[in-house]
Amino acid sequence: MPPELIQAPFEVYRYEPGVDPAPRYSHFTLELPPHTPVLTALLKIRDELDPSLTLRYSCRSAICGSCAMLVNSKSRLACKTQIGPEVARHGKIVIDPMRNLPVLRDLVTEMNGFWDRYRRLEPALRPNPDRPMPVGQPNPMTPEQVDRFMETPRCIACAACYSACPAVEADPEFPGPMALAKLYRFVVDPRDGAPRERLLKIQSEGLWLCLRCHLCTEACPKDVRPSERIRDLKEMANRARDPSEAGSRHSVAFKENIRSKGILDEFKLARQTLNPVQLLESLPQGFKIRAKKPEVTKTPKPIRNLEEVQKLYELLDSSGSEEEAP
Amino acid sequence: MKVAYYPGCVAQESGRELDLATRWVCGQLGIELQEFPNFSCCGSGFIDEANETLNVALNARNLAIAERAGLDLMTICSTCQGMLTLANHRLGDPKVRDRVDGALRQIGMEYRGTTKVRHLLDVLLKEVGLETIRSRVRRPLTGLRVGAFYGCHLLRPADEMHSESAEEPHEFEDLIEALGATPVLYRGRVMCCGFPILFVREPTANRIAATQIRDAKAHGAHAMATPCPLCHTSLDAYQNKAEAEVGEKFGMPVFHLPQLVGLALGATSKDLGLPRHLVSTDTALTRIGLIAVPT
Repeated sequence: MPPELIQAPFEVYRYEPGVDPAPRYSHFTLELPPHTPVLTALLKIRDELDPSLTLRYSCRSAICGSCAMLVNSKSRLACKTQIGPEVARHGKIVIDPMRNLPVLRDLVTEMNGFWDRYRRLEPALRPNPDRPMPVGQPNPMTPEQVDRFMETPRCIACAACYSACPAVEADPEFPGPMALAKLYRFVVDPRDGAPRERLLKIQSEGLWLCLRCHLCTEACPKDVRPSERIRDLKEMANRARDPSEAGSRHSVAFKENIRSKGILDEFKLARQTLNPVQLLESLPQGFKIRAKKPEVTKTPKPIRNLEEVQKLYELLDSSGSEEEAP
Repeated sequence: MKVAYYPGCVAQESGRELDLATRWVCGQLGIELQEFPNFSCCGSGFIDEANETLNVALNARNLAIAERAGLDLMTICSTCQGMLTLANHRLGDPKVRDRVDGALRQIGMEYRGTTKVRHLLDVLLKEVGLETIRSRVRRPLTGLRVGAFYGCHLLRPADEMHSESAEEPHEFEDLIEALGATPVLYRGRVMCCGFPILFVREPTANRIAATQIRDAKAHGAHAMATPCPLCHTSLDAYQNKAEAEVGEKFGMPVFHLPQLVGLALGATSKDLGLPRHLVSTDTALTRIGLIAVPT
């Protein structure tokens, strides 16, 4: 029995900078089975309705990572997204190019920014003198060592995470979720000779700009879970040395703050995190907030049974900052 | 219903208006709040980045406290909700569980994993119910267009948060509608407020907040509302900095979730701590007739 067909109204972003006066949307309605991938539908539009539609794709099997775009404003691989659920939820399918990357034409974006931020992290094994890799010889790892990579080798560099990331959007220094997930992969690789150097370097190169919003993890079509690997990197970076970056100072100061009262001392945290210049600069805003919310500079009362919390610190946080450092 | 009330740090300090509004609304709707002055901070995502096991243990202790009283734990903060739920999830890993159980034993506590962590939003929707809330509305927020701002950790990571629709949630909008207001849909509602890096790189955090406020405004929102006091800090207490950073003027009132409910249920501005906001809520209160139109 042939599958039931659905009406799928498409609105597809069209724009060629320097040629078109402004972006516009082309409207098409197709009749297709609900399990049809968005990519298949777009190719049908290009082949049968509008040969000028420009898009990037190759494998059609969620392996090459070429066809990432916005489907109803979510970063998706077009080949891995079916039209049925999109039409059911939105009544239509709106297609845009990825965010955070300039448009070359229609759905094709310029990827240099994505790759440049990745290359800054030196994504290649650095020789490990303790573990030479003679050419032609196998270099075996234990299953435990392989497990530490987690899901990161699955990454196909499609840039869906980069497109979804608000830190990428707001700060050119942030390397992006994919770059950091890949960095994690080198830090835990027993064949790499410079994990500690990598951890020290990334602290001043954007690691602490991650917002832990997990939008990358939701966008990733391969379940690499970049936000969780960035969390791991932050913990390892914190353990690799005394905190000197503001982000690192902030998380360690927060931890110590809770040790002393069990509840956050907001004013003390600001004093612990900010350097003297930043603290001075923050004063006018601080006074504005304090005028409405006088508690901001008051020291809170410790929680009841604080000794229980402090015992947990003693048991689980006393083994020193080098614990589990790579 | 009775819950173990977990106000979180901010609602006991700079965000005290959230605690005020929660108590007022819960009092009206018969949600009994049992207090536990021995609850500790949830770690807010920061302790997690310094020491994951310690953070899980702190929250296992919080959960064990509620569990001992036989109550579900109710949060009023997306981040508390996220961190406590994540702890429940991570304690499913036998290696983590062993280590945490061992530490808890030494302070005479036990985690069994029977306590549910529920945000006030969820309690309002599932326990009180929209029908009841609708019937209790004394001052419908008619004409007020409200942009819900969820806060990341209420929604994501979706698997761990058991979010039914992390990318396109509707629960908050359903509540806004029940109060008589008109929910505004915009991309920013599920985005980040910038708070986590407010102390790390303030201009970037301000730009991120500005992006979401601008988006809500462009979609016609008269006000925003959030279930997270950290988002509130970013969107309200630092809104002037966000405006300065991008050179625009927003003047966007931002309500805590229970403040919006309280307004519809007939509370006064003072009951809900509205004068404590950095951005005046007067434009929104004028629209719902709580204060007279200025002449």
